[in-house]
Amino acid sequence: MRQDLRGQGGVANRELDSTGMCGADAPSGSAPRILLVIPCFNEADSIGNLLSEVAATGCDYHTLVVDDGSSDATSAVASRSSPVARLAQNLGIGGAVQTGIKYAARQDFDFCIQIDGDGQHDPRAIATLLNAYSKDPANITIGSRFIDNAGFCSTRMRRAGIRLIVLALNGLFAGGRITDPTSGMRLLDRSAIAFFAKSYPTDFPEPISLAWAMRAGLTVNEVPVEMRPRETGVSSIDGLKSASYMIRVLGYILLARLVRAP
Amino acid sequence: MTIVLPSLETVVVISAFALIYMLVLLRKTMQGKFDLYDFLMLSMVAIIPAGFALFPSLAYLVSHLTGVVFPFVVMFGALFLVVFAFMHNMTARLHKLERQNCALIQEQSLMALELQAKERGRSGG
Repeated sequence: MRQDLRGQGGVANRELDSTGMCGADAPSGSAPRILLVIPCFNEADSIGNLLSEVAATGCDYHTLVVDDGSSDATSAVASRSSPVARLAQNLGIGGAVQTGIKYAARQDFDFCIQIDGDGQHDPRAIATLLNAYSKDPANITIGSRFIDNAGFCSTRMRRAGIRLIVLALNGLFAGGRITDPTSGMRLLDRSAIAFFAKSYPTDFPEPISLAWAMRAGLTVNEVPVEMRPRETGVSSIDGLKSASYMIRVLGYILLARLVRAP
Repeated sequence: MTIVLPSLETVVVISAFALIYMLVLLRKTMQGKFDLYDFLMLSMVAIIPAGFALFPSLAYLVSHLTGVVFPFVVMFGALFLVVFAFMHNMTARLHKLERQNCALIQEQSLMALELQAKERGRSGG
C-alpha cells in the first residue's frame, strides 16, 4: 500500500506478478496504477483494521479514504496509514465516492476500486476483480455477492428488492447481465473513471450509476466475491426505507433509460 | 349572469392585506433577502385577490372567458398556478445549489489533500 501521492514519488512501479494476483495489465502495458477509494462515515472502529488488511495484501495499491463528514475519529485513525480526503459536510455515499473518482481522474490512475470502509469487503478480493478485468476487460467490474451466494446473509425482502432492480437493469439495458447492482465493491477503468468524475448520482448511487453507465455505452462485468458481515454500524436501508428506496431506484433506472445522465 | 359585488369591508380588508404584505416584501427585497423575481411571484398572493376584489366586473369577465362559473375558482386557480410556477423554479434552483455545494465540498477536500501532499513533499525534501 502506498500513501504518497502522484508527483510526490507515488508512481506504483511494482511489476505484475505472474499469477496476476496484485494487478492487471494497464492500458499502456506498464504496471497499472491502482487507487482504492474507501468512503467512510463514522468508521473509526473498522477503518484501521481494513487499512491493515490492505497493507497485508502486499500489493502496491494506493489508497484514499474519503471521510464523509464523520463525527468520530475516522480521519485520525485512517490518516495514520492512508491519505484522507475530509469532506466538510456529509454528502452521502455518492458524493464521497465521486470525490475519490475525481481524485483518480486527476492523478491519472489506471483503475479505481471502491471498497466499503465498514469491513464488509475483504481486500484480498481486489485481486479477483483485477484478474477478472485481465481476462475479460469491462469498464466496470462488480464484485457480486450473488453469483456464488457465498457468505452473504440478507433478509428475503431485501433480496427480492435487489432482484427487482436486477430485472429492471437487465431488461432495460442491452447487454445487462448483472446479479448484484447494489454491491459497493467495484472496479472502474479509465473510461468509467472519466465518466463518473463528470457525473455520479448522489442518491442510491450503486444501481443508478450502473444504469447511467450502461446508457452511456460502458460495459459491465461481474465476478463472485465473498462479503463479510459489517464489523460495526447498521445498514441505512431498512424497514419502510427499503420500500421508498425501491420505488425511487426503479424510477431513476427508468429515467436513465429515457434520458442520458446529466 | 348576476354580478355580485364584494362588500366594502371585504375590499378594505383585502386591499389592506395586499398593501401591508407588499410593503413587507418590498422591504425584504430592498434588504437583499429576496430578488426581484421572488418579489413579483410572492406579491401575486396579494395582487390577485386585490385585483378580483377591486375590479369585480373584470373578474366576472375572466371567469366567463375561462368557462368557470365562479370568479372565486378562477382566483384560486391563478394563485395555484403562480405558486406551482414558483415552486418549480425554486426546486430547480435548490437542486442546482445542492449540486454546486457538493462540488465545492469535494473540491475543497481534494485541494486540502493536494496541499497536504505538497507540504509533506517540501518538508521531506
